[in-house]
Amino acid sequence: MEPFKTHRGRLALFDWRDVNTDLIIPARYLKRIERTGFGPLLFADKRYAPGGAPEADAPDQHGPLAPDFPLNAEAFQGASILVVGRNFGCGSSREHAVWAVMQGGYRAVVAPGKGEGFADIFESNAYNNGLLPIELDPADWAILAQAVRDQPGTAEATIDLTAQTLTLHADGAKGSAFAFETPEGQRHRLIQGLDAIAETLAHDAAIRRYEQSAPAWLAPQPA
Amino acid sequence: MATTLFQKIWDRHLVTSSEQANLLYIDRHLVHEVTSPQAFDGLRLAGRQARRPDLTVATIDHNVPTDDQLVIRDPLSKKQIETLRANCREFGVTLHDIASGRQGIVHVIGPELGLTLPGTTIVCGDSHTSTHGAFGALAFGIGTSEVEHVLATQTLWQGQRPGSLGVEITGRLAPGLEPKDVILAVIRAIGTGGATGQVIEYHGSAVRALSMEGRLTICNMSIEAGARAGLIAPDDVTIAYFTDQDRPFAPKGKLLEAAIADWRTLVTDDPTAFDRNIVLDASSLAPQVTWGTNPAMTVDVTGVVPSPDQTPFAAPADARRALEYMGLVPGTPIDQIAVDVVFIGSCTNGRIEDLRSAAHVMKGRHTAPGVRTLVVPGSEAVRKQAEAEGLDRVFTQAGAEWRQSGCSMCLAMNPDRLEPHQRSASTSNRNFEGRQGPLGRTHLVSPAMAAAAAVTGRFTDVRKLLDPRA
Ligand code: SF4
Repeated sequence: MEPFKTHRGRLALFDWRDVNTDLIIPARYLKRIERTGFGPLLFADKRYAPGGAPEADAPDQHGPLAPDFPLNAEAFQGASILVVGRNFGCGSSREHAVWAVMQGGYRAVVAPGKGEGFADIFESNAYNNGLLPIELDPADWAILAQAVRDQPGTAEATIDLTAQTLTLHADGAKGSAFAFETPEGQRHRLIQGLDAIAETLAHDAAIRRYEQSAPAWLAPQPA
Repeated sequence: MATTLFQKIWDRHLVTSSEQANLLYIDRHLVHEVTSPQAFDGLRLAGRQARRPDLTVATIDHNVPTDDQLVIRDPLSKKQIETLRANCREFGVTLHDIASGRQGIVHVIGPELGLTLPGTTIVCGDSHTSTHGAFGALAFGIGTSEVEHVLATQTLWQGQRPGSLGVEITGRLAPGLEPKDVILAVIRAIGTGGATGQVIEYHGSAVRALSMEGRLTICNMSIEAGARAGLIAPDDVTIAYFTDQDRPFAPKGKLLEAAIADWRTLVTDDPTAFDRNIVLDASSLAPQVTWGTNPAMTVDVTGVVPSPDQTPFAAPADARRALEYMGLVPGTPIDQIAVDVVFIGSCTNGRIEDLRSAAHVMKGRHTAPGVRTLVVPGSEAVRKQAEAEGLDRVFTQAGAEWRQSGCSMCLAMNPDRLEPHQRSASTSNRNFEGRQGPLGRTHLVSPAMAAAAAVTGRFTDVRKLLDPRA
């Protein structure tokens, strides 16, 4: 996994509430057995004009974009920090949603409400792929969102994962550094870019001990 | 200190733990074709094995055609299914394949085969893994990286222990009301993010009165309220599930006795142990119908399509978008909304009791002109059972299609799907935009309500169709 220490990038705003993973990546695209190729499929049923969404096996071939889909705004092209509404990523466990967001060019997603910004599984999936899910205090989030509305295309932010701050760079936003929290284990893993499996295998002796203590009834019986 | 059932299961599965990083042992890992290929690939790339293939079980469900499971026309579906077969062979994982007699939706076959046991931890790369919590197991969905992690280590890292939410269902369900109505009412009450970061335990008299099938329906949709998992403490009903019927992989004889003695200890000491407890009276419920594009957008069948500024968990702009997508006008009585398709099936409502309940309503009636009705058993075992009871003939005589098992029209990954703008009454769990096919319009209901919609061609209060003397 690519380490995440600090990141500066442009902000894009997609402030719908309860955006589910079927919307982020429709089910038919889950037929892909690769981890790649999901970028053009991000929000496919909203992002392209009717009939324009690509086929699962040819993600790069698509029709024209839908003019009113928020993320199609010219100002948001090339943004790498996605500001989203509450309960983002609810619904299915599909990690393809995180792959699509990352392959769509984003390194971090910023939602309002501590413990409410992201659905649980989406949040774990994000951490496991090096996409940083940031939950801001709703008042801070509102300032950030307003700055993107007011200055689309120029509003930027710097995320410092060690300090756990997001600093807004926009006219009139001098010194707006917002604090966020990332669980210690996840922060460590992200900053180091660690492979979780290798780390877990260091606990092999403990896992073995645990397995030896399991009651006999727990094992699946020969059917 | 009073402890919750969830905490007891959590504590007994800790391999190592600190406040923020807990390594949980996983007793059962269920696998399906959609969320596993990249995980097996990851193992291969790193030269790793599956640590406990004996605790790992796979089946094929999402991509399976339900008219003829053996004829898979879509080359991508076929490739995904063949990839799972090859991976199971390579890594030594048991696969309940098509035509094995044991195939079915992963959350239907787990209990049926006796793989799901009280007190265990169960994961699957699928959010509806919460279903298995009905047995008093800690069961939750994981992403593909975590699937790879569990395959390699049989453990999973978790952050801080989630909070606990007690959902107490009091009273009793009136005729025509079903577990599906209960869970829709719960989600309607707390919102799709109402239990984020928490584990729900359902308890109370109405829960105790439910069969295992009903409990599975309720726990299945815990994720629709954002919950990490949902569970129900095991009791006599749970134990009878293992003693009264053959569950191939479950413990038997002395082992089962030992297991039962343990399962009897799996209770929440008292309700004060929950971080929060909410109460819902089952007696007061009317049949539920979703009107919008998430499962909290729900009303009584006796109600009307709400106005966008009267929706508790959606901003007016979101609600307006939902109404527009659904092609609905505020103020329209729910029972005036006509349907094109009825889908009875899925891991929420594809078990034998669900089919019995739908058949009860459809018996001696015929589907309304122009309404396509699919009845899809959740597993091949459910299919056999239903056929033994003659339910298939009730459905086909009513003009419905009796199909083979799979996820079917729950999600648009196999040939069963809605055409753009078609409206469905569906017993599945998600009414998200495009879930049943691009631009399809999904209304979630119980099996009895779906059957009522099939025979009348619109949403109908099923209580009006039930014989008052029955
Ligand atoms: S029936 Fe639907 S919800 Fe259940 S596992 Fe299949 S696709 Fe998922």
